[in-house]
Amino acid sequence: MPTTSKPSPALAVNLTAPAKERSLWGTALRRLLRNRLSVFGLVIVLLFLLAAIIGPYVAPYDFLSQNIAQASRGPSVEHWFGTDPLGRDIFSRILYGARTAALVALTTTAVSLFIGVVLGTLAGFLRGRVDEFVMWITDVTMSLPGLLLAMLVNTALKRPITAWFDQMYTQTRNPAFLNTLWLDYVLVFGALALIGWAGYARLIRGQVLSIGRTLYVEAARSVGANTRRIMSRHIVPNAFGPLIVAVTQGMGGAILAESSLSFLGIGVQPPNASWGSMLADSLNLWRTFPHLMLIPAITIGVIQVAFIFLGDGLNDALNPRQSR
Amino acid sequence: MFTYLSTRALRWITGLLLVLFVSYAMMFYGTGDPIKRMFIDLREGSMTVDDAMLDKLRAKYGLDQPFPVQFANYVGKLMQGDLGYSIREKRAVLTMVQVRLPISMQLGLVATVLAALIGVPLGVAAALHHNRRLDSLIVGISVFLNAVPIFVTGPLLMVLLVLVLKIMDVPFGWKGIFHSQVILPVTVLAFSPLPTIVRQTRAAMLEVMGDDYIRTARAKGLPERIIVLRHMLRPVLIPVVTSLGLIMISLVNGAIFVELIFNIPGFGKLTLQGLQQVDYPIIMAVILIGTLIVMVSNLLVDIVYPFLDPRITRG
Repeated sequence: MPTTSKPSPALAVNLTAPAKERSLWGTALRRLLRNRLSVFGLVIVLLFLLAAIIGPYVAPYDFLSQNIAQASRGPSVEHWFGTDPLGRDIFSRILYGARTAALVALTTTAVSLFIGVVLGTLAGFLRGRVDEFVMWITDVTMSLPGLLLAMLVNTALKRPITAWFDQMYTQTRNPAFLNTLWLDYVLVFGALALIGWAGYARLIRGQVLSIGRTLYVEAARSVGANTRRIMSRHIVPNAFGPLIVAVTQGMGGAILAESSLSFLGIGVQPPNASWGSMLADSLNLWRTFPHLMLIPAITIGVIQVAFIFLGDGLNDALNPRQSR
Repeated sequence: MFTYLSTRALRWITGLLLVLFVSYAMMFYGTGDPIKRMFIDLREGSMTVDDAMLDKLRAKYGLDQPFPVQFANYVGKLMQGDLGYSIREKRAVLTMVQVRLPISMQLGLVATVLAALIGVPLGVAAALHHNRRLDSLIVGISVFLNAVPIFVTGPLLMVLLVLVLKIMDVPFGWKGIFHSQVILPVTVLAFSPLPTIVRQTRAAMLEVMGDDYIRTARAKGLPERIIVLRHMLRPVLIPVVTSLGLIMISLVNGAIFVELIFNIPGFGKLTLQGLQQVDYPIIMAVILIGTLIVMVSNLLVDIVYPFLDPRITRG
């Protein structure tokens, strides 16, 4: 780690008066940017988010428009990544797949983070029976083959949510509820959030317990600060670093889980573009058209590695005390 | 010792029951009437038998009972080794599992052995070269394999070996564990537990290397090879053995992808088949067995742990 030369900057900030503007976040950002691998990760992740937001507007072709005359062509000037067997532009589909992946990643992370924070805080604060019960469920959830569970939830939710969509449509006549594209997304969100919360719950509980025991919280309590103030001024800000690292890694994991489910044919359904289903579609064709397999495979690989690098870099930058 | 094991076993059984209950409830409320699914004409969407017949069948299989009764019946049948009947294939799920599971277990066993044979030496080598080039290379490879899923590495390797290097034909299907076609699927499957093994070995080595008894061994003038093999390896293997549960999770998940990519008719293929056809007795059986594999490995670790590491007396 390149940070060892200086005395711990986090400590220095706490000791010197706030007149010298060197915030904790500024130091962390500088430490992050000093690491080449995490800069690579950061750039790829930012590009990925950019592609998710503006991708469909800048894409050279509509991701759905077919052109059989141009089917299964290799990469060329007109089609940068070539075309698939239906003549759809693969570059445009990759861009649209980024939107799918980002949407799933953000939503599932938000939902599972919410469940995890609520349960983890409850367990850490109330301790005793509640803690035991929450940790029991967390342990069981985490000691399962998570993919099986996600597949089970996905299958089980399909019928009730389809029925609910129908009912909403007959009541509101809102065409959004006729859109089966949305339905797939909701199913994937539900399945992934229900297995993703356990890690966050365990992390938050651990943070609440360990920070609650530190001397500065004890000091705050001894000068008469109430639980709410301790919570908002001491525990939440200090738990933020590990949480950001966990969220980064969790988003990478959610993207991976979405492409896994789509690869297995139970996630986002065609004609929606997902990197996982693009890869699965190539399984019978890759001998003749290897680019069909290579492009989505490399995309998934690069994004995953980028999230890992960014997570590691953030970990080093935000939790300097926890040297590895 | 007895209290240690009995609390572990109790946690284990309640956990298994929780999983069974939740998945049964999901199938019960989520998938719809199994009898209707059995007799629905897939092309026309109409029923092939009348309502009176459906009611009779429901009564025959106990499907008219309320949820708690049905769940109790299900658990009771499980105790007798009855996994139910497949809705689509109309035969006992147990016989399907008996055909499919051994294939996946052979693959998984070979993959675990392969991953251990590669992973432990890699972890040891990384720790011995701590913070030097070999260490970062090994850690880099293990981070890469951990990040990139096997449904990406598998296809990439296939393109490389079959199309670019042309050293093998497409490995497709199942011809027994001793057929050369097994090499690629097993290698790809071994990729999923490999990073865990490397990371655990390396971390344990780094911890052990600073210990007093290693310094004593060095002071006695023992050759480095003996120190590594005799003094370090034993404590280093403990965390590797205890991560058996994690290894099993990655194998159960990995089998699904490997068997889809290489078209192997194993347990993972059965899982996919059950889910795609919403065949709930198969889904329940697959969840039960997948969970059992992981939980039994965790329980085994709990039992073996006090013997491996006498310092531990309770969990």
